[in-house]
Amino acid sequence: MLAVPDWTGSLRLLAPLVALALTRPSRAQHPAPTPPPLDDLLTPLLARAYGLALRLLRNRADAEDLVQEAALAACRGFGTFQRGTNFKAWFFRILTNCYYARHRRQRHEGPPVDLHETPELYLYSRTAEIGLHQNAADPAQALLDRLDGEQIATALQGLPEEYRVVSTLYLAEDFSYEEIAGILDIPVGTVRSRLHRGRRILQKLLWRLALERGVVPEAAKEPG
Amino acid sequence: MNAVDRYSCEEVFRRLNDYLDRELSRAEMALVQEHLDTCAQCAGEHAFEASVLRELKAKLRRIDVPQSLIAKIDAILSDPGLRKEE
Repeated sequence: MLAVPDWTGSLRLLAPLVALALTRPSRAQHPAPTPPPLDDLLTPLLARAYGLALRLLRNRADAEDLVQEAALAACRGFGTFQRGTNFKAWFFRILTNCYYARHRRQRHEGPPVDLHETPELYLYSRTAEIGLHQNAADPAQALLDRLDGEQIATALQGLPEEYRVVSTLYLAEDFSYEEIAGILDIPVGTVRSRLHRGRRILQKLLWRLALERGVVPEAAKEPG
Repeated sequence: MNAVDRYSCEEVFRRLNDYLDRELSRAEMALVQEHLDTCAQCAGEHAFEASVLRELKAKLRRIDVPQSLIAKIDAILSDPGLRKEE
């Protein structure tokens, strides 16, 4: 005779658990988790937002105004922020839009066009010419150690606007190409080309600054 | 890895910025790294450019937020009239 196992006892024990599982709302029925309030999202970004604003505007009062303007816009538009997406990129997009709107009102001319012709490895070549590669283990550091943050910010400010904004987001705020593309609403390829070209121009501006400030010998005159 | 799989100096030079920014694919990153391990000239150029970026990033990030701005933002964030949509 075939022995049939009796499951009824086990099922009786499991019944309360099964009932509990059936009465519990499924994951889909759960209300969405409460999103963090704007304060919690925005406050940790203030230093970086102010840093970006200051690098773009070069004036503390204007930088404060810009961050304040962006915070106001973020407050008013927080309902449009899609929960779970990148708040930092969302807020910096507002900030750069405020900057562009402001900058259109206070437009100033960029540097001379000859900066566009800057070759690759500009600082590498210039520092090699003055013998810094023989005298220093890290010639780039040896040069840039002689310039402070304000002077470097001044050189950055000399970039044409299309390069300055991308370069500032990258250098000062460490955004990736993709994040910068999202913030500025431009293709990643455009970010890449502006960033690479901006980097070359910035090297030329840094060298000019180093000459002006006397941190490299006057004899190290700029070619072209 | 055979010679066909290797990057030339020119190919590495073309990718140097993307390599510095870690914006290449894993395979391309490995090919550039492999070249830099064996070519002193390219390794020197890469080290220089990497050092420039490192110095610039370090010096551009040292900014303290003024207390006046913190107070202004606190005032904005605590204004219930501005936060109807939250």
